[in-house]
Amino acid sequence: MSVAMSETLTNNGYTDDLRYEVFNREFMPHIDSMYNFAFRLTMDEDDANDLVQDTYLKAFRFISSFEQGTNAKAWLFRILKNSFINDYRKKSKEPSKVDYQEVETTYNSEEASDTTYTVDLRADAVQELIGDEVANALNALPVDFRTVIILCDIEGFTYEEMAKILDIPIGTVRSRLHRARNLLKEKLKSYASSMGYDS
Amino acid sequence: MNASLNTPSVTEEAHKQTMKHSCEHHAECMKIIQAILDDEATEAEKDHFRENMDKCIPCIESYRLEKCIKDSLSIKLEKKPCPQSILNTIISKINS
Repeated sequence: MSVAMSETLTNNGYTDDLRYEVFNREFMPHIDSMYNFAFRLTMDEDDANDLVQDTYLKAFRFISSFEQGTNAKAWLFRILKNSFINDYRKKSKEPSKVDYQEVETTYNSEEASDTTYTVDLRADAVQELIGDEVANALNALPVDFRTVIILCDIEGFTYEEMAKILDIPIGTVRSRLHRARNLLKEKLKSYASSMGYDS
Repeated sequence: MNASLNTPSVTEEAHKQTMKHSCEHHAECMKIIQAILDDEATEAEKDHFRENMDKCIPCIESYRLEKCIKDSLSIKLEKKPCPQSILNTIISKINS
């Protein structure tokens, strides 16, 4: 206690020692997940490296705004997602936000036809696909649709956590996931067809 | 809970004739199936699922497909370890 008292107190009760302790205990265990998320967003190794590094340095700098006992992984993913949008998306070849809005508008306007929407794809055909084929199908999705699938199906975040990470309402999480999965099925269907798995 | 939704067994085949071969509210069912698989379903959605999902062939097939895709994403995709050089850079920068 006397040691802690003698240290300089920073915001939110974080001492210098505590900053390092929380960083190592709460943030570092998620670095592999963060790296994979960064790689799947940027689809470029160098950009993924920079994005993970930037995110962790930001996390350390702003650690006083991390409330201990809350979900560190979701907090880190939110920083990474924001860094990606602000710093990397502009220079990437990914569809821009405007393009994405067009995609979502298109899907919204097709809501009526979307109600009867089915992709002729069988579970058995998906079971035959190897990891690279599934990854390629996922990578072929516009980044915002790809993101919700990564967060939900690969990283196992809840809808509530996803809403916080993405700064969107839970209802939008649900509908975006729904559309993302329909798009993914179309991509998987074309892989399954090309491999002859659907015959 | 979902045992009845696996591949239909021979005995289930016998009941197929009494099962629904088309679903008039499939879009709504797809939303429930998604919520169930994501462990985000409300109690009402869970009830609906329990009561109806073993009676409707399109919904059973959709459930299997959605589950298979979800499982493939979590199991089959390669998970790379973060390169040690990034770890080293981060550690050296926060200590400087």
